[in-house]
Order: sequence, then C-alpha cells, then structure tokens
Amino acid sequence: MTDTATVETTDANVDQSRKEAYFTAGQGQLIWSRFKKQRAAMIGAGVLLALILSGMFAPFLTPYDPTIAGRNADYQNGAPQIPKFWDENGFSFRPFIYTYERTRSIETNFRWVSKVSREKRRYVVLFPEGDKYELFGMTFNTHLFGVDKGKIHLFGTDGTGKDIYSRTFHSINTSLAVGTIGVLLAFVLALIIGGISGYYGGWLDSVLQMLTDAVRTIPAIPLFMAIAAFIPATVSSEGRFFIISIILGFIGWPTLARRVRTHLLTERNQEYVLAAQLCGASSSHIIGRHLLPSFTSYIIVDLIISFPYMVLSETALSFIGLGLKEPVNSLGVMLQNVTKADVLLNYQWNFIPVIFFITLVLAFVFVGDGLRDAADPYSDNKK
Amino acid sequence: MFHFLQFAATRATLAIITLVMVSFIVFSLMELVPGDCAERYLAFKNTQGMQISVADIDAERARLGLDKPYIVRWGKWIVGAFHGEFGDSCILRVNIAQLLGEKFWISLAICLTSLLVAYMIAIPVGIISATSKSPIVNNSLRFVSYLGLAMPNFLLALMIMLFSTVVFGDSLTGLFSKEFRDAAWSYDRFIDFVSRAWLPIFILGWSATAFAIQTVRALMSDEVGKLYVLAAAARGVSGRRLLWRYPARHSLGPIINSLGFDLNRIFNELPIVALILTLTEAGALLIEALARSNDQQLAGAIIFMLTASIVGINFVTDIILALTDPRVRRSILG
Repeated sequence: MTDTATVETTDANVDQSRKEAYFTAGQGQLIWSRFKKQRAAMIGAGVLLALILSGMFAPFLTPYDPTIAGRNADYQNGAPQIPKFWDENGFSFRPFIYTYERTRSIETNFRWVSKVSREKRRYVVLFPEGDKYELFGMTFNTHLFGVDKGKIHLFGTDGTGKDIYSRTFHSINTSLAVGTIGVLLAFVLALIIGGISGYYGGWLDSVLQMLTDAVRTIPAIPLFMAIAAFIPATVSSEGRFFIISIILGFIGWPTLARRVRTHLLTERNQEYVLAAQLCGASSSHIIGRHLLPSFTSYIIVDLIISFPYMVLSETALSFIGLGLKEPVNSLGVMLQNVTKADVLLNYQWNFIPVIFFITLVLAFVFVGDGLRDAADPYSDNKK
Repeated sequence: MFHFLQFAATRATLAIITLVMVSFIVFSLMELVPGDCAERYLAFKNTQGMQISVADIDAERARLGLDKPYIVRWGKWIVGAFHGEFGDSCILRVNIAQLLGEKFWISLAICLTSLLVAYMIAIPVGIISATSKSPIVNNSLRFVSYLGLAMPNFLLALMIMLFSTVVFGDSLTGLFSKEFRDAAWSYDRFIDFVSRAWLPIFILGWSATAFAIQTVRALMSDEVGKLYVLAAAARGVSGRRLLWRYPARHSLGPIINSLGFDLNRIFNELPIVALILTLTEAGALLIEALARSNDQQLAGAIIFMLTASIVGINFVTDIILALTDPRVRRSILG
C-alpha cells in the first residue's frame, strides 16, 4: 500500500516539476524543445553547422590557396584525382594518386599533352606545410592534407589550374559572409522602417507602406543588376564584396519590414504598452524594450528564412559578371565560365561546387522551416 | 454597379500611383549613371576625328532637352513611358520601343505560360497532398518542393544544358532556328518557337511550381478541417465533388491574389535563364544592357515594362477576385 502511494507521489512530483519547467521556460527553451522533435530540421541544422565550420576553417581544410597564387600550371582543366589504396602495382596502406606528366615533342605535334604515369605514386600525407594563410589573426601554413610530391586536386582544376576543391570551401565562406552582412543590413532597415510605420500608424504608415509596396513590386534581381552596374570597375574586389552585400541588404528589407510592421500593429494596442506609456516611457524606449523583445524569435526565424535568398542572389549576380569578381571566390564566380560548350562537353567537374551549394541552401531551408514551426506556439495544437 | 466602378477606379488609381513611384525609382537609377547622352553622342563623334568643345556638349544637351530640371525630364519620361515610348538608346542609337517590341511580348508570353503551367500542376497536386494521409505522398511532395526552392532556376538550366550536351550533343539553346530568326510571324515560325520555348517555360516554371504547391497545400489544409466541409460531407457530398465545391473554392482566392508576386519571382529568374539558354528576348537584352554596354535607357525601359506588367496583373487579379468571390462582390456591389 505505502509503496504504491510513494510511487504515485514521486510520479506526481516528476509531473509537477515537468509542468513547472514548461511554464517557467523561456521563449528560447520552448522553441528549442519543439525544434528538437523535428528530424528533418535537426539533420539540416547538423549539415548547416558542418558547412559553416568548414567554411570558417577552409584555409586549413583545403590544401592550396584558392587564388591564382595557388594554381597548378602543370594541371590545367585537370580531372578530379581520387586517392586509391590499391592498383595493379600492389596495395598500399597509405592512399595515393598518380603523377601527371606534361610532355611536348615531335610525336605530340609540339602541343602539351599530359600523361598519367601509373608507376610514380604520390602518397597522401596529413598536416603538410604549404601556402600561408591567416586564421583568427594568426598566420599558419599547416593544412589538413596534401601529397608528398606535386599537388593533389580532389575535385580537379579549372581552366587556369586553380584547385576546385580549395575554391569550393573558400566560396562557402564568402557566401556566408555576404549573406550575413546583407541580412543584418536588411534587418536594421526593416526594423527602422517597419518599426516607425507600425508604431506611429496613420498617414506615416500609409506613405511608408506605399513606398515598401513600390519597392516590392520591382523584380528584385533586375533592380539589383541595375544598381550593381554602377559599381565602377576601379573598385577593388574587397570593395566590391562590401558594396554587393550592402546592395543585397538594401533590396531585401521590404518583406521583413512588412512583417515587423504587422507585429507592431497588433502589439502596440496591448495593455502593457499603455502601462509603459502612462509611466512616461519614451517611444524609442517602448519600441526597444517592450515591443521588439515580444517577437525577437519570429524575427530571427525570418532572418534565417531570408538568408538563402541572399546567397542565391549573390550567386546569380556574380554568375552574370555584375557581382563579385576574382580573386574573391564565390559559387557565382566559379560558374562564370561553365556555359561554354568546351566546358560542358569536356570538363564537367566544374559543376562539383553546385552540389555543396544546393546542400547549403537546402540545409538553410530545412532549418528555417523547422524554426518557423518551432517558434509558432500553436504548432503543437495543429497536429 | 456603381460600387464596383468605384472599386475599380480606386484600384486603378492605386496601380497608377505605384507605377509613378516605380518610374521615379527607375528614372533616378538611370540618371545616376555617370555621363549623359550628349556626352556619349559627342564622344562617338570625337572618335570619328571631330574636335569637341564644352560648348558643343552644352548645345547637344540643349538639343536633347537634358538641360531641363530633373523633375521636368522625369515627367517627360513617364508620359512617354505610359504611351509605350522610351526615346532612343544613346548607345545603340535606335528607338527603344522598336528594339524591344516583339521581344518583350515573347518574354511576357514565356513567363505567363510558365505561371499557368505551374498552377495547372500545383492546384491538383497541392489539393491531393493536403488531403492525402499517406506519408509517402506527403514526404515525396515535400522533398520535391524543397528541391524546387533550393535549386535556383539558373542552376537547373545549367544542369539541363550539361545533361543535354552530354547525352544528345545539343545544348537546346536559343528561341528560334536559324531560318526563322528574323522572319515574320507565321504558322511555321510559331511551331518552331514552341518547339524551343518549352525548355525556358519548364525551367522558369520549376520553382514557381514548388512555391505554388506549398501555397495551395497550406491553404487547403487550413480549409479542409473546417466545419462547413464536415457539414457538406454529412449531407452526402463526397470525393472530388466535395473538395472542388467547398474547400478548394475558398482557398483559390488568396492564390489569385498572389499571382502578381509569383510573376515577380519569375521575372527575377528570367534574365539569367535567358543568358544561359541564349534566348533572344527582353531578359537577355536587359543583361546585355547592364553588364556589357551599360545602356541605362534600355535597362530602365525593360525594368519599367516588367514592373508595369506585374502591376497590371495585380490590378486584373483584384478585379477578378472582386467578381468571383461572393464575399468581396457583396461588399462592393452592395
């Protein structure tokens, strides 16, 4: 008798503490607990984290400098080299690739011809010293892997002999950076414009809404191209990088601003706002301290959802030659030359980076979708 | 009837105000480009061996009306724009309206067709996925629409080009075969056009379809669970008849309303897809004007026309919605 009673009370206690945890949980904890339940979103988050880290540590993870400085003049338009463990000459515990030799003689009509010599093996080594790079303000020259002689190109090389593997990882970094700057700028603009519009309402709201609608009606990418065409050719590639990010932000704000305005319009008539006003709080104080925190989580979700579109716009822009330019690496820059028939027919490995970018965008879409469901307090009741 | 006319007039005024604001943005962008038409014309003459002075440039400016104040020139431009007249491109030295002419309508036809195709696929598929309980159907549709969202159209176009060059040895690019490129419209030319235009239509429709499926699905799943559907089912209506006559009618309203934004999204992709598939229409012309020749008059005209067609679609859908939705109709027809 007594035993079951104690068991029941402990059960009740556990239940009680769980309820208490639920009621006292912050917004973030609630969202996280709902987010954890979604398998697709969790996988997306894992992939996304891996890609972000590999972008950040790209100089270490890749064997060569992604710019023209790291090119392999002896292996232009070279096919991907996949490390092997064994071939007809025997087995090796260390993976190896073959040596390519370029020769030119009367037999080849004096053109450079590359030949694989299967006898000369190049062994893969870990942590070799190579091109210098900077990471977190310090200079290193150790890379994750390389080969003992010559160079290794896992994804092949492009027309100038640059390593596609190294460029891919560096370009993930660029895309994330462009997206982050663009999203943050769009966010600040959206907060200011949407905040003013939603908080004050009235004619100011009408005027700002008409402006927002007009900007939203113009197709973004053509508008974007028209603005990007102004960047003078003399601007350095780093300068272009910042200008492009800023333009992205300037074009991305209307959608976010509308969301902010709608949130504010519903929230500003709540009693806690009236209470704050009666206490004599200023408008900026009410917006910043009371209204914005009431929907921070939704804004974060919106930011993550709009992120892949920023990345894709940058890619599209760079692809047509109006965005980033060499030596900055981005997917768009890498794809600039692939529409040539020569590349399409003979050098298809130029398309390998596309896989990484589709994965990156998909991961963002999954995480954004999962977060949106998790941030919606009614999502549990819907199912 | 009076109310309806009033409603239509208000909508038309709003559309025109939007267009005026858009034209101001576009015109300002055109004006920001360093160097005006007078300088360009005379720079060309300079290359022909003529001596050019500052006075010559000023005279040319006066001749072209470029010495007038900004607002006056904008007013002139917008009045012309509403008449479909955009003046001359001072780089190509041809009339922009003539240059664009047919090309713009071809672009619009391609985009509208892909929008139509997208909804012809999305409405039935979205309804099925919203009402189906099978996890296989739902998950595979979800995956397809995610892929549509994540794979930008220009990457899809590249992939199809890669595939077709490797497999068929033809990159399937261009809008017309050689013999029809400059010919007048005829039945044969139309057939030739259709035989090549399906690829851009498919590519542009790809992500539009993915978006549309998601919208239809979300709207339908909101409606399907409602009581009036249950009530209709209790009265013995079932199957397709039930879905079409009750929840589908309700969820179509917001879809008609969002057609303008779908068109906007398609226009976004148009120039780049046009560039990849070497289409000879307005999208490709826009890239040509912006990325190569820096011809802002032409680019401004194209962007304005694209936006005008979006505003036009928004106006038409508002009117259609007012006529078809009994709730809206009653509120304005009284």
